[in-house]
Amino acid sequence: MKASKALAWFAIAIGVIYFFVPLIGTFEFSMRMRRGAYSFDAYQSVFSDAQFQSTFGFSMLMALFTIIFGMLLVVPTAYWVRLRLPQMRPVIEFLTLMPLVIPAIVIVFGYLRLYNSSSWIPFTGSIQGTNMLLVLSYITLSLPYMYRSVDTAMRAIDVRTLTEAAEILGAKWPTIMFRCIFPNVMSGVLSGAFITFAIVMGEFTMAALLNRPAFGPYLQLVGANRAYEPSALAIIAFAITWFSMGLLQLVSRFSKMAPSKA
Amino acid sequence: MSFLVLEHIKKSFGQTQVVKDFNMSIEKGEFVSFLGPSGCGKTTVLRMIAGFENPSDGAISINGKNQNKLKTNQRNIGMVFQAYALFPNMNVFDNVAFGLKIAGMNKADIDKRVKEMLKLISLDHLADRYPYQMSGGQQQRVALARALAPKPQVLLLDEPLSALDAKIRVSLREEIRQIQRQLGITTVFVTHDQEEALSISDRIVVMNAGRADQIGAPSEIYNRPATRFVASFVGTLNMIDATVADPAANTVKVGENTVKLKESIGALKGGDKISIALRPEAGSLSESAKGDTSITGTVVLSHFLGSVIRTKIDVGGNLISFDMFNSPDTVQPQPGETVTLRFNASDFLIVRD
Repeated sequence: MKASKALAWFAIAIGVIYFFVPLIGTFEFSMRMRRGAYSFDAYQSVFSDAQFQSTFGFSMLMALFTIIFGMLLVVPTAYWVRLRLPQMRPVIEFLTLMPLVIPAIVIVFGYLRLYNSSSWIPFTGSIQGTNMLLVLSYITLSLPYMYRSVDTAMRAIDVRTLTEAAEILGAKWPTIMFRCIFPNVMSGVLSGAFITFAIVMGEFTMAALLNRPAFGPYLQLVGANRAYEPSALAIIAFAITWFSMGLLQLVSRFSKMAPSKA
Repeated sequence: MSFLVLEHIKKSFGQTQVVKDFNMSIEKGEFVSFLGPSGCGKTTVLRMIAGFENPSDGAISINGKNQNKLKTNQRNIGMVFQAYALFPNMNVFDNVAFGLKIAGMNKADIDKRVKEMLKLISLDHLADRYPYQMSGGQQQRVALARALAPKPQVLLLDEPLSALDAKIRVSLREEIRQIQRQLGITTVFVTHDQEEALSISDRIVVMNAGRADQIGAPSEIYNRPATRFVASFVGTLNMIDATVADPAANTVKVGENTVKLKESIGALKGGDKISIALRPEAGSLSESAKGDTSITGTVVLSHFLGSVIRTKIDVGGNLISFDMFNSPDTVQPQPGETVTLRFNASDFLIVRD
């Protein structure tokens, strides 16, 4: 009993060392920009860099659009599958898992072949079109996480009965969707949104190959040309991810406090 | 003309026909229960009235207007679900107000109507509560208020008491009946609980395998079941295998006993097999009891159940269950004892398939 407990602690210690030592090392290195003293100069340099601000802002905007349009696609789909097409559920689950199986580079090459400037739908023919294509590709990438989080939230409420209850009280589809279903799957929507946000902020392949000024390519650029700033950026990227995960925990805790069972 | 009319309703899911030529007319203000086992089609009929399912054939009309082509949200029907189905994101007030807002009522009228409804269900003090802060019984009362608030033409109750504990079920069913009487609303209640159906209905429809086996008042259903299924499903019934003794005298043999029946044996001949039924509470063991016929048998088991003593009596191979009310003077029959049960000829029912 004692030996197994010690073994468990040993395994935890190995895990913690494996995870935290590089992180602490990176953090420590990011503080050494000023000779002979620890400072936040690298962070200051990063934050004052106009390119950081513009790429960060661009990725934030892309993330926002990805979340809005992704949810407008995922919530009605998950709802419809639960309500009217339960037999299609395995197919939809398979489709939403595809982005995890197909590498991002393959997806983006597919997009470029399909939507280049000389195609029927020339998304890449303009900046706005390319941005739109980038959002669509981000939606594809985040689909596995978005769909699952929304579907799990829908499982917690009796979607069919709530829909019927609203319908018999005279409600039409938009009212049912936005007043009865959406607010009750908000925890799932927010969980999906935070994961999507974290994915979009760090994504490199799609943005680089579509040649858009996103945060992912900026991280790569700085990493290749500077010494201390990449470490500071790595810590910032971690902080963004943890912040998203923290918000996710907070949302799920609040949703547990107010059970949404019908 | 009746208020709610169901004519030759049929419903199939794929190859399975779940409702087979269902006919029913319900008067305005009537409380009708659909009673039957799981899978008999009662909920499907209710869902067709609501518009959640379309009949494969037949017509549904309310107040003379055909409903077949109308969508659920155009029918002005109220419904209470087994799972309450209150909107979790809305408090009690907003839940009750939902249908009124959809109907486009102004704020002051909504406020007045919701308060009126909450007073009706005696929950006016809980208007700010959310569904998860309430008990099952309270949630179902709110669901009832929500269904009634837009003044529907018909109220549908889909096993609304099934998820509640026994005590709440009894009090809530009485409350539902009292509110229904007060508002005079035409109500269709689906249940598989015979006690619920018998206690609150004006009429009961006993459903079996997609058909209405019998439609009648609770006492009629209980005392004069039309089919073997109704007889076995509603209440407890002793099914006794008997042989026709004398068709002219309307008598049958049960073991060594000759029993006189009130109901006509019909075209059966002497020696033909016949099934007769007897309620456990019919008859008496008392020698002073009135009765024009009797059965003698041997006590096999006797259980003291508080208000009732339940005795199993072997009569020519038929095990007859007999209930008698307990009183301080009642002598409990003992196993092995020979007893004579006295009946009226009208207590026996001839059971036809």
